[in-house]
Amino acid sequence: MALLEIRNLHATVDDKPIINGLDLTIGGGEVHAIMGPNGSGKSTLSYVLSGRAGYEVTEGEVLFDGKNLLEMEADERAREGVFLAFQYPVEIPGVTGITFLRTAVNAVRQHHGEAPFDAMDFVKFVREKAAGLNVSDDMLKRAVNTGFSGGEKKRMEILQMAALDPKLAILDETDSGLDIDALKVVADGVNAMRTKERGLLVITHYQRLLDYIVPDHVHVLAKGRIVKSGGKELALELEESGYAEFLEDAA
Amino acid sequence: MPDGSGHMQPYLDQALEGSGSFAGAGTDWVDALRRDGAHAYGLHGLPKRRDEYWRYTNLNALADEQFRLSDGAPAIGLPSLPHKLVAELATYRVVVVNGRLRPDLCALGELPDDVLVSGLEDMLTAAPARLEPYLGKIIRLNDMPMAALNTAFLNDGMVMFVGDGIVLDKPVHLISITAPGADAMMVQPRHLVVMGKDTTATLIETHITTEGGSSFNNIVSELHLDEGANLNHFVFQEESKTTVHLSGTAVAMAAKTTYDSFVLQSGAAIGRSEIRAYMNGPGSDCRLDGVYLATDKQVVDNTTFVEHAAPECRSRQVYKGVLDGQSRGVFQGKVHVMRDAQKTDGHQLSRALLLSPRAEIDARPELEIYADDVKCSHGATAGELDEDLMFYLLSRGIPREQARRMLIEAFLSEAIAEIPLEQVAEDFTTHVRQWLVDNVDAHAGQDAT
Ligand SMILES: Nc1ncnc2c1ncn2[C@@H]1O[C@H](COP(=O)(O)OP(=O)(O)OP(=O)(O)O)[C@@H](O)[C@H]1O
Ligand SMILES: [Mg+2]
Repeated sequence: MALLEIRNLHATVDDKPIINGLDLTIGGGEVHAIMGPNGSGKSTLSYVLSGRAGYEVTEGEVLFDGKNLLEMEADERAREGVFLAFQYPVEIPGVTGITFLRTAVNAVRQHHGEAPFDAMDFVKFVREKAAGLNVSDDMLKRAVNTGFSGGEKKRMEILQMAALDPKLAILDETDSGLDIDALKVVADGVNAMRTKERGLLVITHYQRLLDYIVPDHVHVLAKGRIVKSGGKELALELEESGYAEFLEDAA
Repeated sequence: MPDGSGHMQPYLDQALEGSGSFAGAGTDWVDALRRDGAHAYGLHGLPKRRDEYWRYTNLNALADEQFRLSDGAPAIGLPSLPHKLVAELATYRVVVVNGRLRPDLCALGELPDDVLVSGLEDMLTAAPARLEPYLGKIIRLNDMPMAALNTAFLNDGMVMFVGDGIVLDKPVHLISITAPGADAMMVQPRHLVVMGKDTTATLIETHITTEGGSSFNNIVSELHLDEGANLNHFVFQEESKTTVHLSGTAVAMAAKTTYDSFVLQSGAAIGRSEIRAYMNGPGSDCRLDGVYLATDKQVVDNTTFVEHAAPECRSRQVYKGVLDGQSRGVFQGKVHVMRDAQKTDGHQLSRALLLSPRAEIDARPELEIYADDVKCSHGATAGELDEDLMFYLLSRGIPREQARRMLIEAFLSEAIAEIPLEQVAEDFTTHVRQWLVDNVDAHAGQDAT
């Protein structure tokens, strides 16, 4: 059984069709990359999968670990192991990073019948994960993402992913806004999480990220559908040719 | 009962009947002060919608129900206090039950020599001359009709004198208990604080109600700050939901003074905190902050008036509240900058979070400026919980109710973070958390659309 199975997915936002019959299967241990022009529905797909309000599925089904994902609330999906690293992470003034992370991790642990971390143990736990991602204690003490640079926000997303240990991680343009060094740090962080069980869905515009996080499959999304799939070499082709042919095809 | 002009002046007759037996009766200036109060209230009557400072808070409940003046303090013991850290804090404790000082419940040992904390009734009887320069001198009776009514009932409360140069080692904790019997009961406490030159003190107030019938608590406090005085003032208003709690505070600030006030209101059917700060001397600093939490049909009102009469003063106001159920919040704030008050720096901000579609806020921040070299701003926001923030928390597995509580607490925490006394800040936070668990979780599911 595949980790994630999307069948004939249709979704609307404000009654506007954005996802128009999308099929995608991700097995445990696989890395899939999705590329595609601006506005093709990549972020929308990530929101539909993570259960954001306002994104309405009008047709199709999504099985996650064999369970009907679309029936679950957003928080339940996260506790079941779906993680989204946001294209634009929000700032949350008044909630410190460490409190936020501990609340989230403990919610997931309790869901799996594990004992929650106390404050002391959690600091130890998170420091270990943070070190590899260059996330300082100071960043954790500050309010979530508040006043963070673009790169800091993205590193914080990956730290959250590492702490939550999801079964499926969706990375929405995690490379955008990163300088070359930060890109390496983030990619190393992601690669460290590649296991036989975990699935990764990497949304990006650039081949560059895929040099570091090498995908097993690359898909082109245009007008809400996957119009082409291939191996990692497809990303290189796209770099050359652009998306013009798909936009015409889909029209 | 309406008089010829159509306005109502309930309770005036009770004040006039009682005046012969109130403390200090027979002392000319005290009698005159009470008469002035009765006169001003009689002319004005119960506040009406067309009164500038009463546009949004309706006191008809006071006309509908006949509250009788409490006839003294019942012999209750000290109830357990709602705030743990403040309760454990080393303080000078003053206990007022139904507006009457209860010396047996106070703990005032080791007060420094030049500090006097006493009951107003005792002072009016034994040493009225000491009160004369201060009592009734700040309240402008014509601007504050309910304070005028309180003045007509002037009798007991807390008096505190802090002698020149004193830095008080512990906060004074005024515990104000409303203890109604079976019938509708009214109390009219009157407090006076006189801070000498170059003094520093902290005053904490806890307002609670014991079980009983409905009650009406009409408090007036006058705070005199002489040159160089610093007063930190923290108020917890947690009266029962069958109480009408009206508090009028007037502060006279001489040069180089600081007045730092923080009011938490989560109690009462109608809870109103009105603060009027008169910045009479240059180089002073006034902070009026507050947090409020309301649910069901509660009305919570924060009304402020800051008069910049002298140059180079700073005033800051931040009021933040959370409104659930069919509750209503009111913020009316005016910063009045007089012609000579150059280099005034005045800001005010009201922010409300509406948790239910039937909750409402009326916010009216106002600037009235007659000087030309000033820096002033005001603003008001009202809204629901941010859905983007909500989704971010949900997407990390945090259950919806918990996410709501975290975001609401975060919204309030910025204001609470400004409280300089750690135990008070922590008790405020604990209180907010408990309130959220008790009130918000119960119907958290309803808005999950
Ligand atoms: N709330 C909304 N209301 C109306 N249209 C929306 C809304 N959200 C997204 N859309 C539209 O859906 C389409 C897909 O948007 P989406 O953000 O998924 O694109 P994307 O592929 O992630 O693009 P990018 O590469 O720029 O990030 C766009 O045309 C966008 O304008
Ligand atoms: Mg996008």
